[in-house]
Amino acid sequence: MKRPGYAVAAGVMLILAIATATLPGCAVKKIGDFDSTFDNNVSDLEQKTELHFAQLKSNPSKPFDQDFYDDADARIAVLKTRAAALPKYDILSQQLNNLQSQFDDFEKLDKASPRPISGAAVGDGQSLIAVSFESILRLELALQRTGTTSAAAQAPSKTK
Amino acid sequence: MSLNVAHLAEQMVAAALPILVQHSSDVQSFAKTEFAKIAQTLAGIEEQTADGQINQAQAAILLDMQKGASRNVLLALKGLDMLTVEEAINAALGVVKTVVDTALGFALL
Repeated sequence: MKRPGYAVAAGVMLILAIATATLPGCAVKKIGDFDSTFDNNVSDLEQKTELHFAQLKSNPSKPFDQDFYDDADARIAVLKTRAAALPKYDILSQQLNNLQSQFDDFEKLDKASPRPISGAAVGDGQSLIAVSFESILRLELALQRTGTTSAAAQAPSKTK
Repeated sequence: MSLNVAHLAEQMVAAALPILVQHSSDVQSFAKTEFAKIAQTLAGIEEQTADGQINQAQAAILLDMQKGASRNVLLALKGLDMLTVEEAINAALGVVKTVVDTALGFALL
């Protein structure tokens, strides 16, 4: 009955192989570090977005506000640039692309909707964008809990 | 000094397993919460279209937004899985670091 022993040995060898594939003495790192500037900028955008939805709900006759969408586009572009510069931020970059598409979609809906705008449409859009923000922030929170802080976050920020 | 493979494996599993179990529960809870919100919104879109609160063009846009939301939840789950694996591997290596490095005579782990 040597097979279980071989299986265990194979498992240990696999883990050691993964470990030795990285630099000796270093922890295994599969995803990027927590970045406080990225995190704060996402939270700022979420706050502005929630305010926009709250205003549309409380005043459905509020005219289409192109400035809000232009500002959101610019903020997401800055976030995408930062994510692209941070090591192993591919997942967060993809999440930002999806968030951008959602903003583009809601901009179309908002622009095409006669006033007063449907409260149901606003509420649905708000919920769906909120899910994306929560997904991004949930991952950032996990990075903060498990990892180190990125070197970029420790340097003075120019993107905020 | 030769390494006892079975003992090393036991230690590594003991270090990694609680992390995998704990995170599995956290991730499940996150997925349930977020997909419940998406399902609620989908049901809302269907009802609101039926009773005329939103038109078909708005419904189509909202459905497209729903795809983005679902993709972002799945991406978060992928990232959380990667973090869990990373944490489990590091915990497993951490508990055997001293004994392995001592046996080898240099700092491998």
